Amino acid sequence: MSTESPQSRSIPNRRAFFRNSFGGFSSLALASLLERDRLSAAPAGPLSPRPSHAAGKAKSVIFLFMAGGPSHLETFDPKPLLNRLDGQPRPAEFGEARYQFIQRDARLLGSARSFQKHGQSGIEVSDLFPHVARCIDDIAVVRSCHCDQVVHSAAQYELMTGRVVPGFPSMGSWTIYGLGSESGSLPSYVVMPDPKGALEAGQPMYTNGFLPSNFQPTMFRPGRRPILNLDLPPGVTGAERRRTIDLIRRLNESTLKPGDDAFAARISTYELAFRMQTEAPEIFDLSNERPETLALYGIDRQPTDDYGRRCLQARKLVENGVRFVCVVSGGGPGNMQWDAHADIEENHIRKARETDQPIAALLRDLKQRGLLDSTLVLWGGEFGRSPEAQSGKGRDHHNLGFSMWMAGGGIRGGQIVGATDPIGLRAVERPCHFRDIHTTLLHQLGLDQNRLSFPHLGRQERLTFLEGQVIREIT
Amino acid sequence: MKPRSQAILVGIFAFAFLFAKKVPVSAGTPDHWAFRPLSISTTRTPAIDDFLLAALTKQNLKPAPQAPWSTLLRRLYFSVTGLPPTPAEMRSFLESPSLAKYEAVVDKLLAAPGYGERFGQHWLDVIRYAESEGFEYDRHLPDGWRFRDYVIQSFNDDLPFDVFIREQIAGDESESPTRQALVAAGFHRLGPVRRNAGNPDVALSRNEVLTERTDIIGPAILGLSIGCARCHDHKLEPVSQRDYYQLEAYFAATTEHNVVIASDAEQRRHQAATQAVQEQIAPLKKSLTQATGDRKKTLAAEIRKFEEQLPPDLPTITSIRNAETNRTPIHILNRGVWEQKGDAVGMRPPSALVPDELAELPADTPHPRTRLAEWLTSPDNPLTARVIVNRVWQHHFGTGLVKTANDFGRNGDRPSHPELLDHLAQTLIRNGWHLKPLHRMILLSAAYRRDSSLDRPDAARIDPENRLLWRGPRRRLSAEELRDSMLMISGRLNPKAGGPGVMVPVDEELIALLYKPAQWSVTPDPSEHDRRSIYLVAKRNLRLPFLEVFDQPPPINSCARRESGTHAPQALELLNGRLANDLAKAFAARLQHDAGPDSGARVERAFLLATGRPPNDEERRLSAEFLANGSLREFALAVFNLNDFLHVH
Repeated sequence: MSTESPQSRSIPNRRAFFRNSFGGFSSLALASLLERDRLSAAPAGPLSPRPSHAAGKAKSVIFLFMAGGPSHLETFDPKPLLNRLDGQPRPAEFGEARYQFIQRDARLLGSARSFQKHGQSGIEVSDLFPHVARCIDDIAVVRSCHCDQVVHSAAQYELMTGRVVPGFPSMGSWTIYGLGSESGSLPSYVVMPDPKGALEAGQPMYTNGFLPSNFQPTMFRPGRRPILNLDLPPGVTGAERRRTIDLIRRLNESTLKPGDDAFAARISTYELAFRMQTEAPEIFDLSNERPETLALYGIDRQPTDDYGRRCLQARKLVENGVRFVCVVSGGGPGNMQWDAHADIEENHIRKARETDQPIAALLRDLKQRGLLDSTLVLWGGEFGRSPEAQSGKGRDHHNLGFSMWMAGGGIRGGQIVGATDPIGLRAVERPCHFRDIHTTLLHQLGLDQNRLSFPHLGRQERLTFLEGQVIREIT
Repeated sequence: MKPRSQAILVGIFAFAFLFAKKVPVSAGTPDHWAFRPLSISTTRTPAIDDFLLAALTKQNLKPAPQAPWSTLLRRLYFSVTGLPPTPAEMRSFLESPSLAKYEAVVDKLLAAPGYGERFGQHWLDVIRYAESEGFEYDRHLPDGWRFRDYVIQSFNDDLPFDVFIREQIAGDESESPTRQALVAAGFHRLGPVRRNAGNPDVALSRNEVLTERTDIIGPAILGLSIGCARCHDHKLEPVSQRDYYQLEAYFAATTEHNVVIASDAEQRRHQAATQAVQEQIAPLKKSLTQATGDRKKTLAAEIRKFEEQLPPDLPTITSIRNAETNRTPIHILNRGVWEQKGDAVGMRPPSALVPDELAELPADTPHPRTRLAEWLTSPDNPLTARVIVNRVWQHHFGTGLVKTANDFGRNGDRPSHPELLDHLAQTLIRNGWHLKPLHRMILLSAAYRRDSSLDRPDAARIDPENRLLWRGPRRRLSAEELRDSMLMISGRLNPKAGGPGVMVPVDEELIALLYKPAQWSVTPDPSEHDRRSIYLVAKRNLRLPFLEVFDQPPPINSCARRESGTHAPQALELLNGRLANDLAKAFAARLQHDAGPDSGARVERAFLLATGRPPNDEERRLSAEFLANGSLREFALAVFNLNDFLHVH
């Protein structure tokens, strides 16, 4: 196992360093940078683009995070037997499961959805997702996902960081730690939370954990200007502020000693900040988009406007070199997420209508622009839902078997991986743990789970706790 | 090498030789420097600088001269209190600077409350202190801030560090514990705690809590990573799985205990008042479950109104106690999974650190944590003293003698000056574990007083990281120092000490990201918002963007040393952030008030306040040019962005 850290990976030139905006560098890197400069090689920041471990097919990732746990039984995993057993206790041969709320005497709940085969591949998709169904030949559905936790916060941590406790770096942070950023005026890792509210695991699930702060996510906020502190304070004009920034630069340059890279770097961050102020908002401004594009994403129409906007922004971000974008569907109280404890029909019909068209639009738009080949799109939640009913027509959390899907970024679509048992309780064929999803994602980016590591409390930590396996069938 | 140092070394070797013969060391004990007993220097006490000069001379490195007095004074103030000196303090010192006067300032600062407020923050980082539990509910600990005040007070009182550790580990176990001891034992409540609705998995949750309480002991006190050994024998350190669970066994009976500090009568009154309101609320809540539309809104509003009438919570201490009847049997767990129980174990310190024949204590040993605390602070354990003196060293020099302050294991860094480290540890113990004399010794050393300028290519080539300390330290202000200094030079800092964590106004969007937005209730008195950062609430799921962007660590894992990043969001925060712009206005008003209408005088004043020195000619010229037709507020903002304000030289 070799150890790599940003400061030990070589980066081509000084310009790359100053190009990197949300990056900069940490004290950790500083000593070796200074040293390297003296040996007449040029320093560079940890967020400058870096070669991957191997040739990767994907350059960016968009994670469509369906928070709260969407049901596999209503979406990508049809179970005729479950419908036949509706209202009966679970037959003993399927074994035990542990749920958050429902008890052992719960009855099975059939699905009201109808499934049809779609595309060349003939993969069955439920009528919740008519738009996504038309993209199914680009999609690889993993029907045999499983994870370790059956409560939201812990499962969300596991999905994002590979651990069931907070404090570890998220897959987004690992990605930019591994590959750096290709954008000069945009953050390299962006999270777009659902404006309706927070999730159980809170912000710690998205963060850089023990990786240096250069690898932190930028949390977009709802509204027109999603990045914090990008707006001038009220009553200050752009021209006035330009003068102030010039003053800052000239004052700081007047005390700058030759060879003081740390201070030179700080001076350069002000230029970058100013540039970001003017350039980044163009990404968020959708008024120049063609009406067909807006219509494709369902923008300016309900219920798709919000998720459609965020999906379109995600496309614009990866187009401009952003590495990792997480677009969250679901936030606030459980029923505003995919957390359908009370009524699976009401909840999932509503959530699917908000997201189906925007997601399909994103896939088609990426494809049209030739970006799908280099952008891995991952869809899923922190777990699935129980075959048993909760409070009559709802479903409880369920971690033993559920579906996620991947498209683009070199994933071979039109395929199904694995299977759950005939009532959708347990992944029985080719089970894929979150660590296998993580490993596959890194693999597509050209990153090796064992080489992408960082020393922390005596261990060389990585995204996967136990070693994951690449899902070879679809890569 | 000076003859005196040679004598010291001879002494060390002689002692190490004797010691190694006398103390039976575990057969499996690896030959690792940090696990060996402290070496003893000769009776004659050498100074810090003797050790450092010996190493520098060996490398043919000439140390830098002493820093200019003004630079040094600013460095000293930040080092000890985290705040800059006032212009008046500067003036009075610089009128007739001398080493004797410097020494007097060191003593004055170590006696000032600011000392505990700054060094306390470091300890809070190390033990990942927060006032809320994290995870979904992020529940607030009842009066969790008392622990923060305990830490600050203990450092200010110069409570011996061994007592400080014993109180935190086992304060509750004494015969009739003082309030202070109960607050200190709240140490075991500081980790993240997962609470869930639904079918709680009691054994799993208990296992998580035990893990959290065990894991922190390693890095925070022993400087040893032990967490890995929960699932398997440590691959890099001589810590076995058995060692891990034997350590966990000290906590087997430890349970949460919230101690209400009110008389019985007060408690009865409180209960009655609460009940009276609850009785009004109960029927409304019942109706609410069936209500719809406007009726629902009205009911909810009525309930809220009643809830506001609930009496405030009684003062409470977040503490722990031993619940012997509820003791968790501790087993070695296969891969750390609580269902996969192996051998049952009792209590014992990690085997690499104790003699082989030391017996395991049975699981029902009374006052178990007192036993642990005794071992942690006993002379037989060389780590506790080494680790804390290294933290103090790092606090002033930026880097410890051991770079990895939380990791003294084989995987960690080796000390740059092993004899010095042991000398400091011995001295600490000899001084009755008082930390202030140690701070003092370091701050008075020639090494600390050296000029920090980097333009010595010869020296930088030989020792680019300055491990041998040929120059003085230079560092960026920490997030808290930066915020506190901005408040101070703007004339807004509220120096009040202690009390409940302050909640400052934050963007609505941030509050909306909380699972329970009602948890953020802004402290009503606005002057409270201008208090030092250590008094702001430490909430796991809502951290202030200003502090976060300047590398305040998330209070999840022990943080041994602050990062010091440089990136554009920091520039954006200081240019466009609310705090920076708000305080720029206050700073401008102060300059106007202090210096009158002359813009030249304002510039002088601004530089003196922010950088501890007058402006140079170029800075004077540029500032005058700017102020000819620019606003004083924008100039004030620019001063917050000076490298020489953001850094200590």
